[in-house]
Amino acid sequence: MNTILKSMLVAGGMMLAAGASAADYPSKNIRLVVPFGAGGGTDAVGRTIANSAKDFLGQNISVMNRTGGAGAVGMSFGAQQRADGYTLTVVTREIASLPQMGLMQHDQDDFKLIRLVNLDPAVVLVAADSPYNTINDLIAEAKANPGKVKFASTAAPNFYLMALEKDQDIKLNAIPYNGASEAIPAVLGNHTDVTMVTPGEAISQLRSGQLKAIGVMSQERISYIPDVPTLTEQGVEVVTGTWRGIGAPKDTPDEVIEILGKAFDDAMATEEFKEFMAKGAMTIHNLNAEEFTQFVKEDTVALGTLVK
Amino acid sequence: MLEHLLSGLAVAFSPAVLPILIFGVLGGIILGALPGLTATMGVAILLPFTFGMEATPALVMLIGVYIGGIYGGSIAAILLKTPGTPASAASVLDGHTMAVRGQAARALSISAVASFVGGLISTIILIAIAPMLATFALRFNAPEYFALALFGLTIIASVSSKNILKGLLAGTIGLLVSTVGLDPISSVPRFTFGNMDLYSGFNVIPVLIGLFALSEALSQLEKLVGNKHTPPPKFDHKLLSKQDLKDMLPTAIKSGLMGTTIGSVPGAGADISAFVCYNEAKRVAEDPDEFGKGSVRGLAAAEAGNNGVTGGSLVPLLTLGVPGDAVAAVLLGALIVQGLTPGPLLFAQNPEVVYGVFSSMLVANVIMLGIGIFGIRFFCRIIEVPKIIMIPIIIFLSVVGAFAINNSMFDVGIAICFGLLGFVLNKIEVPSSPILLAIILGPMAETNLRKALLMYEGSWSFLYDRPIALAFICLAVFSVYSTLKINRRKAQ
Repeated sequence: MNTILKSMLVAGGMMLAAGASAADYPSKNIRLVVPFGAGGGTDAVGRTIANSAKDFLGQNISVMNRTGGAGAVGMSFGAQQRADGYTLTVVTREIASLPQMGLMQHDQDDFKLIRLVNLDPAVVLVAADSPYNTINDLIAEAKANPGKVKFASTAAPNFYLMALEKDQDIKLNAIPYNGASEAIPAVLGNHTDVTMVTPGEAISQLRSGQLKAIGVMSQERISYIPDVPTLTEQGVEVVTGTWRGIGAPKDTPDEVIEILGKAFDDAMATEEFKEFMAKGAMTIHNLNAEEFTQFVKEDTVALGTLVK
Repeated sequence: MLEHLLSGLAVAFSPAVLPILIFGVLGGIILGALPGLTATMGVAILLPFTFGMEATPALVMLIGVYIGGIYGGSIAAILLKTPGTPASAASVLDGHTMAVRGQAARALSISAVASFVGGLISTIILIAIAPMLATFALRFNAPEYFALALFGLTIIASVSSKNILKGLLAGTIGLLVSTVGLDPISSVPRFTFGNMDLYSGFNVIPVLIGLFALSEALSQLEKLVGNKHTPPPKFDHKLLSKQDLKDMLPTAIKSGLMGTTIGSVPGAGADISAFVCYNEAKRVAEDPDEFGKGSVRGLAAAEAGNNGVTGGSLVPLLTLGVPGDAVAAVLLGALIVQGLTPGPLLFAQNPEVVYGVFSSMLVANVIMLGIGIFGIRFFCRIIEVPKIIMIPIIIFLSVVGAFAINNSMFDVGIAICFGLLGFVLNKIEVPSSPILLAIILGPMAETNLRKALLMYEGSWSFLYDRPIALAFICLAVFSVYSTLKINRRKAQ
């Protein structure tokens, strides 16, 4: 009760001291917009980093889910908020793809990107009793029978698959499911032949052996599934995956971005956050504001060649 | 197994866990009863608080919220005609009719007992044959989901028994509304008018709040303003009779079994189950005309049907590591954060957690029954609240609820629009439930039909060469036929 009263007093004081400078930032609660629903992977990462970062900022960070349009609604909403550092947004790979497809009015330039938090490669998964044991088995089948291999896609369009199709000049029959939780049962039940999801999305089935990983689409092998070779090792030069970071509206003062960046660095280094990510088989990938901005630019170009 | 179960029960009744479980169930009931606040939301918000807890109490609390949340929606549905969740919309049909007649206590007790029976059966099946059920559920894919949705849509005829034509009109409105948004296969915007808030279509919760809660508030308001003398609400404290119990038990047990099966299939949840069970109870009833006019069986079927899902939806989670619905997805996260691997390994590596969960589900259902029955005296007070106070409260809660689901004023606007639509439709006696059914089932039918066609490379053979799909299509045909027959009998 006491803390509620206190925070109300603080909030009240803030309203009086209108136009507070960056010097006393942060002086009130911060809001983090998550563009996907409560209970999903993006939501979990957002809530956990918010929980870890609040100790370093000395202010609470409350998560607000704003869903719709595959992330477009929440990210556009976040981009249009007041640029005072009190509304942040979890920015996902969709910011690089959706604007180019005409499905989102705002893009990376509407944000000042703060930190990349998480980068996960896609893993190629088939049923445990599938005849495919390597990525080349799959490619050979797709070449022999174009458009016949059934691919359970986690989204439409699916950039993991498009990257592979383009590189190998093959065509699979992509059936769009609604996320990994639908695509995985479609492979488990032998309704489709193959899917691509992130390691965290399939960690249960990988550990129990219900699904077989025939390649991971990262530069190097990843620690959670050390026995799974990369596609590059198998002679297929395709690297793809998904990522999540944090951004603020584009006019946010640089001093504020710096304070936040430092807090998120500290948050990513906490045991609590590291343990959470490790248990969910997700990889922490910290890029600072400039690196992250460059990274998104390059990814936008890379996705552009697939979309067109 | 029995040994694990007994030690699990010992954990569920331990002083460290039982209060958490009671807190979870009670919290869930309150969340469920309020429009716009769902069990999924409660579970997701509580999740970070469980990071520091041990695995069993953490899961027990979340499961308590889940079970309480599904039941809580019905209290508001029965007393105020404002279902707290889509899953309790079917309970309005008979439950609210009973309450209007002054039998609120009877309706609430039937609802509590039926929910308990459904939940208990579901849990027992989960404990006994989860792996078998999971194998069955895996056979479901696009063709089966399409056939299930098609069958579900035929229920429109059965929930609009007064006038099938008006029911179909409402269903068509719902189907039209459900086409708004990015199309599910190729992401082409449909009827969005460039407004990004419409890209994912209409969220079902604001639509529910508008169609049921707000439109009801408007109707009440109109009566109040028109100064039509309404007699003071009468109600007695009579709970369900022995005869009621005898009437409802077979229906409740059957609905619990059906609910478990529907729940075990990923992607089909409590809302669909409640309507399917209602439809089935009506189909086999000797007195189908009573349905919608305060039928004990109708209410029991809907209530046992939605709570029957609770155990079923944990089947794919615990046996395959795949979440069956949004709540199960949060539970999956909770398990993973605890360092556990959901799926077949969980039974081998952490039986104490699995059986802890099973036992607390059994106990949670008992707690739910207890709160449901002992709370009736208290819940009924709501009816005594003068309309002039109650109407603003309902409107306030509706607006807050519509906003809370996605922190969006746009959703509040949607709720208001559907409130007006519902109000107008009420006047011309067009039922609201078919709109809701069509909004839930329309996208399911469309998406899965198109997925199935992709899967079969344009061939329609999945309609007859997949036994489960064929069975649902036959059920759909039969459902339409039997409704027509009932109507013809009525006409004569």
